[in-house]
Amino acid sequence: MRTYELQDVSQPNLVEDIFPYSLPPLIKFEGKIQETIDGKIVEFDPNEVKTRDIHITDTTFRDGQQARPPYKKEQMVKLFEMLSRLGGPNGVIRQSEFFLYTKNDRETIDACRNLNVKFPEITGWIRANKGDFRLVKEMGLKETGMLTSSSDYHIFHKQNQTRKQAMDQYVEVVEAALEAGIRPRCHLEDITRADLPGFVFPFVQKLERLTENQPDNMKVKIRLCDTMGFGLSYPNAAEPRSIPKLIWRLRNECGISPDRLEWHGHNDFHKVHINGASAWIYGLNALNGTLFGLGERCGNPPLEGAIIEYIALKGSLSGINLSVITEMVEYYEKVIGTHLAPNYPFVGKDFNTTRAGIHAGGLRKFEQIYNIFDTTTLLNRPPRVSITDKSGTDGVALWVNDFLGLKGEERLSVMKVAKIQRWVMDQYEIEGRMSSITDEELEEQVKLTLPDYYAKYRSN
Amino acid sequence: MTRQEIAEIVIKTTARELKLNASDIKETDSFAMELGADSLKSIELVAAFEEEFGLSVVEEEALKVQSVGSAIDFFEAIINKK
Repeated sequence: MRTYELQDVSQPNLVEDIFPYSLPPLIKFEGKIQETIDGKIVEFDPNEVKTRDIHITDTTFRDGQQARPPYKKEQMVKLFEMLSRLGGPNGVIRQSEFFLYTKNDRETIDACRNLNVKFPEITGWIRANKGDFRLVKEMGLKETGMLTSSSDYHIFHKQNQTRKQAMDQYVEVVEAALEAGIRPRCHLEDITRADLPGFVFPFVQKLERLTENQPDNMKVKIRLCDTMGFGLSYPNAAEPRSIPKLIWRLRNECGISPDRLEWHGHNDFHKVHINGASAWIYGLNALNGTLFGLGERCGNPPLEGAIIEYIALKGSLSGINLSVITEMVEYYEKVIGTHLAPNYPFVGKDFNTTRAGIHAGGLRKFEQIYNIFDTTTLLNRPPRVSITDKSGTDGVALWVNDFLGLKGEERLSVMKVAKIQRWVMDQYEIEGRMSSITDEELEEQVKLTLPDYYAKYRSN
Repeated sequence: MTRQEIAEIVIKTTARELKLNASDIKETDSFAMELGADSLKSIELVAAFEEEFGLSVVEEEALKVQSVGSAIDFFEAIINKK
């Protein structure tokens, strides 16, 4: 057994190479990941993700819109403009896909195009129907996704086809796309429940042969659709659920390069974000997501989560403007009328709000103890405290100092806010209150018990 | 201010805040153990001492004071330094 001796250091070790605070915590790897495929060990180098051109593709207006009432045209245009600013000039948010079927869909694409932004690029989404190419062509899009369901659940029980009939139909549509000069992106629906060697790999190899003589920008793209969220990122999970094995076989046995592979997940088993991030690490470049994870049933990979993951993996902002996330959630709540769970990471009303007195005490002494990163600078969201019978005098002091805008030596001690804390406790112990104290009530208490401070710092 | 005068204010204030008889309070008494002050009451007590003596104290240092006698010493040191 190895013996560890206490190192009684004079300065704290805050592990700042991993927790820089000026950025989200960084993700570092210390070796290769091993996976058993066909009884042999294959290795993945997770550090490769740092140099590969990983990026995010957006489906807020396609899958995201299938799970909610339609957005208005002006809402989609505004969100598209914000997506562009969020992803920045390097195209971290590389593409955004749109329906093409209604007049509103098509007018929205035109309006987004008129913004003249480089990223995200606009792509389409159609069913595997040759006639639908007219829509893609008319809109002048260079790329479109098309539904090519891959499991027997879909082929046999939804499409009433044999595998050969399904494959022939899909290939026909891909050929039509190529003929029209449109890059096909095949959405292999339900792939984590499909017969991989019996259908998926033969189909993908067929697609590869179809486009092998095409220029790079016309080669077929493959979207891996984990339609029901069955995918597993765990090493050595069995196929067809294994994400590492699926990506490895598509790259090494079917010859699909990482820039032509995309992961599209669903959150039915709470695995949506980590599956997407794992897909990046195991060797594909595009992670498809929606704003706030809004999507069919339990949702898709949350785009803002992918953005944070991107920064953590790459170790820099790469042109990303994170504060746009806060603008977006305000727009959803105030204009679109969609409210997110208060504890939803990075954007929920309370994502960096503490209610525990012991945490408030820590926050008051050294913000980094209980704030995940510099949310004030990066997200324009300073850490907050919500006052209840559990938040303690530290919580009240934190709230009052933030409310009055007092910093450093100016900050009021717990003694100065003790009367407010007594009032708070009386609400629960004497009045039997069950809800949090509101900001308005606390402001009233500041006026009453600290009138000089209120007059100096707030009464303008 | 003499130590005796400071002691009288500390004991009188403690008795008022904790609803005790001043004559029952000894310098060796711990605010938490013998006199029953919980964490909020301890903060309120320091706030009351600040008001009585007309000064502000450093929170971390003030909240380390455990007994009546050490509170008297604490305020004596601050007042006589002024």
